[in-house]
Order: sequence, then structure tokens, then C-alpha cells
Amino acid sequence: MDRDVTQDQRYLLDASARFIEQTYPLERVREKPFRDADWAADYRRRAAELGWFSMLVPDEFGGGSVSGNGAVDATLVAYLRGGMLQPGAFVATNVVAHALSVAGNEEQREKVLAALMSGEQSAAWAVGAPAVHGPVGGTVQAKATGSGYELTGSTSFMVDADTASWLLVTAEVEDGVSQFLLPAGLPGVSVTSLESLDITRAFTEVRFDRVQVSASDVVGEPGRAAEPAARQLAIGCVLTAAESVGAMDHDFSMAVQYAKDRIAFGRPIGSFQAIKHLLADTSLLLEMSKAVTLSAAENLGTDDGYALESASIAKAFVGEHGVDLAQNCFQVFGGIGFTWEHNQHLYLRRLTTDAALYGDPAWHRERLCRLSGL
Amino acid sequence: MTKHMVDLDEFRGEARTWIRANLERRPQSDARAAGSDDRTPEEIAESRVLQRKFFEAGFAGISYPAEYGGRGLTPAHEQVFREEAAGYITPDFGGAGHVMFTAIGRSLLAHCTPEFLRRHIPKMLAGEELWCQFYSEPDAGSDLAGIRTRAGRENDRWVLNGAKIWSTGAHHADYAMCLARTNWDVPKHVGLTWFAVPTNAPGVLVRPIKQITGSTGFCEEFLDNVVLTDDDVIGEVDQGWTVAQTMLVYERGAGSSGSAPIEPRILASDLVAAARQAGRADDPVARQAIARAHVNDYAQYHLGKRISALLRTSSKPQPAIAAYGKLASGTLGPIRARLAVEIAGPLGLLWREDDELGAATSAGYLNGRVSSIAAGTNEMQRNGIGERVLGLPREPSFDSTKPFSQVVRDARNWSHRVG
Repeated sequence: MDRDVTQDQRYLLDASARFIEQTYPLERVREKPFRDADWAADYRRRAAELGWFSMLVPDEFGGGSVSGNGAVDATLVAYLRGGMLQPGAFVATNVVAHALSVAGNEEQREKVLAALMSGEQSAAWAVGAPAVHGPVGGTVQAKATGSGYELTGSTSFMVDADTASWLLVTAEVEDGVSQFLLPAGLPGVSVTSLESLDITRAFTEVRFDRVQVSASDVVGEPGRAAEPAARQLAIGCVLTAAESVGAMDHDFSMAVQYAKDRIAFGRPIGSFQAIKHLLADTSLLLEMSKAVTLSAAENLGTDDGYALESASIAKAFVGEHGVDLAQNCFQVFGGIGFTWEHNQHLYLRRLTTDAALYGDPAWHRERLCRLSGL
Repeated sequence: MTKHMVDLDEFRGEARTWIRANLERRPQSDARAAGSDDRTPEEIAESRVLQRKFFEAGFAGISYPAEYGGRGLTPAHEQVFREEAAGYITPDFGGAGHVMFTAIGRSLLAHCTPEFLRRHIPKMLAGEELWCQFYSEPDAGSDLAGIRTRAGRENDRWVLNGAKIWSTGAHHADYAMCLARTNWDVPKHVGLTWFAVPTNAPGVLVRPIKQITGSTGFCEEFLDNVVLTDDDVIGEVDQGWTVAQTMLVYERGAGSSGSAPIEPRILASDLVAAARQAGRADDPVARQAIARAHVNDYAQYHLGKRISALLRTSSKPQPAIAAYGKLASGTLGPIRARLAVEIAGPLGLLWREDDELGAATSAGYLNGRVSSIAAGTNEMQRNGIGERVLGLPREPSFDSTKPFSQVVRDARNWSHRVG
């Protein structure tokens, strides 16, 4: 992201870039749907060795950042991932790991959090409380029973959740929002693979049909999860925005190179102002996207008083302009952009989907008004 | 440079103490129409007095060299002072003030002799010499190197003739930094020279221009046999384009005074007030517009910080990235002005005489394109970014290699020459 990095961050990023290049370069993204459970588990374990799932967990629970601001570290990794269109529940696993470190009980921390950080298991976040995350996702209702709760409803828009071992469910209860941690294989939980615009990741819908959970599956205080869930959403937004910025950067540099190489009317097409100006405007959007995303990451990691607001700002800005960028690059590529063989469509698909994940730009603008007291 | 450099915290404390003891708080209702550069002679006179006070206390030209009356500190110190002074009344010379202390002052420092600097910079910092630019002409704006004001040599003197325009604050200025052509028989970029022109010199006529808002921020000037000496030359004769490059970088915002001093964390308060007055605080359309403006404000501020950091730390100098800041304000400024009109609805278009919202919204709307045209159009920034940052090939040029006198002749027969 052209930002000053510390020596330790440089190690993390170099190792991560090497890992991506060796394990899952763009050619494999194209050919290999990320649905082979063994393969996904291997990718996850190796990523975990780099620290990908520990950055938002405090030292005392075995996590740790390399720079003192784990949100910035994770953002820099997410940017790398986005550029190479990496699959896997990176964002969700980090969200869930963070949530458990904040409010998980001892068993949840020892059994699940440790397994998430080591890459032995992965987690998905089933957002089922529209009050927290808006219309994207779904609705899950939790009804108190004698011994615990009964969950009913469904959520979609979950990235690579078919290989997840754990679900963090954010559900509506009578007097607020509660969160539950449950194994994905629990009776009544059904996971359905969905077709999707974005073919670089797998999306699933999860249905909860009168799923019985016990009181010990609750994460944090029952009915009081709206606040921690809002922070989880902010993490999801910043990391998703960072993945988008990585994708934007890559797509954009392909388009600039094409504008230099492609000849028409006796000149490289990038010498025409019609193309040059479009690319200049697009690069401004990219630079601003980097700036807002890094600012939001800083705020998130320092527990700044503006963390939630700047996460929504980043998601609104990058969501909207990530799609603008993909569309503009498409225009520069012309006919070649329509071919399956060219990578442009993968970025268009990814960026358009990222814009909707964890709340679309319009929803985040409204959220910003509410957070600001309007 | 080996001198003791006061650290930022220490300086902040010093600045805060002085500001609280010496400056007055800015009244809440002191919201000027956006983009208005209009200042009365009385306001300018008051600002000169205040500028003198800053100068004597060591808070004028904080990052200017000490030998020319500055403080010899860094842009970061200047930023600290601005943060501390937010909310207080500070010298306000309109748009001319920003140009004077960034584009003009920095270019002089970079290109003038010590004698010249000793003569002018302390007076500039003390508010005694206000400077403006004689820069664009009726026939040359974006194509700055195509200016036609003539500086001829007569008996060891320079004699200037021509016309200038769009000179912000020229009617209040004591001096102008003026670009003239000193050689017509060479290509356009290599026959230019800058001069320091006293605005009260015989032959200089400064005429304020009434703008679409009704106010007057800039002027046109006529130079009729204005006589200057070699002491008034800025930089080298015929090397004016080098100076112009420095100036353009500062004008595009690489200079430190341009960006918003404080991170915008309060939801676009002008637009929220407009929505409330229009009874639309709950209207989703208005709320989207407000948030959109705030998101852009925030992104623009952080872009500015990012560019400053890149300019500071980059291993190779890349002044062209300063164009990002200018293009951001040039594209987002007009959008914001339109959003304000949309939010205010009829109240932004029709108002009773004493209603501030309508007047401010209308004036802001009319001035909305200032940032996309003044001091380098969006199109020039796009060329700069495209060619010098992204490395895209240049357009074919029809004028850069032949003598300028021939360029002017050929352009008159343009339609016969194309194809």
C-alpha cells in the first residue's frame, strides 16, 4: 500500500507474498475452486504459521501483532490477499477470533480460539441481526428455552463457510442481540453452496432449523452483543476494504500496462487523453481508497473514538469506487475484457461482491449518519 | 542545521500559550461563503497588523529560514501551529495569502539571490509586502508557457508590456511575481523570465473583476512600458520555466498550508444544518447526500496526508504526485457544491434578505468549480498524473520545438495544417 512498514511487518508481508505465490497464484485461482476440504485445511494451516489469524487477538491469549497495531498488520496482509484474489475465510476467521478473545468463555477460548489461530479449524460469521449489519446476511432468531436457546432463520453471504468448523451466530433475541458459538455440524444446521457472481470464492447459505444450543454456547452477555458485534462489523469492513484495495491496485496496473502496449491510430492508446484522463481519475480513486482504508485500520487498532465511523467511511468509499475502478479498467481493455481467458472479469466479479459484503455503500452512509447522531 | 531544533511538543506548548494570550477567538457565525476571496481594504489592513504581530512573536514563516525573518523550523511545526490556532482569528488575506506564503514565497526561496531574499522576504513575513501573481493572460491559462507579455531590454533596463488576468488579490498587493517572454526566437519554454513588479510602478494598471457571485477576488492588469532593473529579475533570465515548475508544485498543494488543518470527524456540519433548516434531516435522500459529502471530505483529508508522507519519504523526487491533491479537490469540490443545493432544495435557491443559508448555498454553488479550474484545471492534473505518475505516453506536441514567434503564426492557420 506504499506505506512505511516496520522491519517485522516487512518480514510478515514478504513471507505472505511468497506463500501466496507458491501456494495459490492467480493461475490456480482460475482453475481450482476452493472447495476441496483437505486442500483448504492445508492452505489454512500454512497461512496460520505466518500469523494470519492471530493478529487481532491479544498476547495473553496467544495472539499478537508484529507492529503493536494488529488491525494495521491484518490490513496489510488483506491487501496482499486481495491483489491475488485469495480465497478462504481470512476476514471471518479474524473476526471470530477477535470476538472470542473479547468475550469468549474459558472453554471457547481454549478449545476454539487456539484452533483458529493455529489454522487447525476455521470459522464463519453468520450475521443474523439486521440491526447490527443491515440487510446483507439474513435474520436468525434465538428463543430462550428451558436449558438454552433455539435458533431459527438463515444467513447467506458467507465466504468459504462450507469448510468452516465453527459458526459464530449473531442473532436477534427478545431484548437485544446475542451471539452463539456452535459447531457447523450441529443437528438442524444445514449449509448450502450457492452459485455466485464472484467465482474466486465459494459462498454459502446457512439455515438454522430449530437448532438447540445450550447457555454455555453464548458468547458474552446474552442480549448485550450489539456493541461487540458492531466492532466485529468494523473489522469485517476494514479487512474487506483492504482486500478490495489490493484487487483494485492489481486490476489498475494491468489496465495501465495495457494502455501502454495497445496500439491504435499509430499510437499507444494511453497517449489519447480520453484514456489517459480516465486512468488518472481512476488512479485518484485508488489512492484515496488506500488512504481511507489505512486510516480506518489505524483507528481500529488504537481503539480510537472514531473507529466505527471510519470503518463505515472506508467501506462506503472503497465499495463504491472499487466497482468504478473495475468498470473503468474494463472500458480500457475493450473487447479483451469480455474473454474468460483474461483476468479482468475476475476482478470485476470480486470487487462488485466485496462492495456488498458487510454492508453496501448506501447502508454504510446511513450508518455513518446514525453513528454521528443525525 | 546543527542549531537546537525545538521539538514538536515543546513548540506546541509555546504556540498554545502565545495564541491564548494574544489572539481572539473566531466568532461562531464567521462562516464565509465558500471559496470567496473577497476582502475589504479595511480587512486587509487589519490582517497586516496581525501579521506583524505574528512576525514579531516568531510565528510568521515558521518553516522559513531564520536569516530571512522566518523561524527556521519544519512544515510539521507549521502544522502544529495551525492545529493550535484553529478557532482563533489569524491573518486573512483571502486566496492571496495561501499563494503568497506557499507558491510565491517558496519559489523565491528556491531561485533568488540572498540579496533579493533579504530585501523582500522579511517584509513579506511581516505583512509589509503583500505579493500576488501576474501569471495567466487573456490568451494563456493552462498553456502557461504560451504567455505573450513581452519584456524587452532597453539601456540596461527591462521594459514590460502586456496583459495579465485572474490575479488573486492583486488589488491589495504591493508586489507581483510576473512571468514575461524575454526571447521570441526560441521554443516557448526557454524564453521566459520572472520579474518582481511593484504594483504601484508607473504603467501598471490593476483592475478588479466582478465575479458571478458579485464579489471581487481577482483582477486583470495592464502593463504599459513598465520599467524594471536587473535587481527585479527572479531566478535566471530565460530560465523562467524552471521557476514555474517549482511554483506549480507548491500551487498544487505540495506546500504545506493547503490541506484542511484538522481531520474532518464531524459529519458535514454545513450540510446537516441545511438539511435541518429544510426539514429534511430524516429524508433518506438528504442523508445519503450528507454522508457522501463527509466520506469524500474524510477521504480527501487522508489523501492529503498520504501525499505529504509520500513526498517526504519517497526515494526519488516525484513532484507530479502533488497533482492528486489538486485533482481531488477539483473533482470533489464541484460535487459537494451540487450536493449542498440538492439538500437545501428551494431554500438554497430562494431566500429572504436576512437568511444566510440561501445566500451561502447559492454562492457556494457558483464558486463550486473554482477548484476544478483555478490554479491548474482538472485536465492539466490528469495529464500530469497520466504522464508523470502512471508513465503513459505524451500527446504529440505541435509547439514545443519551434520558435515561439512561429508557433503564434502557425496557430492562426491551424485549420489548414491538420491532417
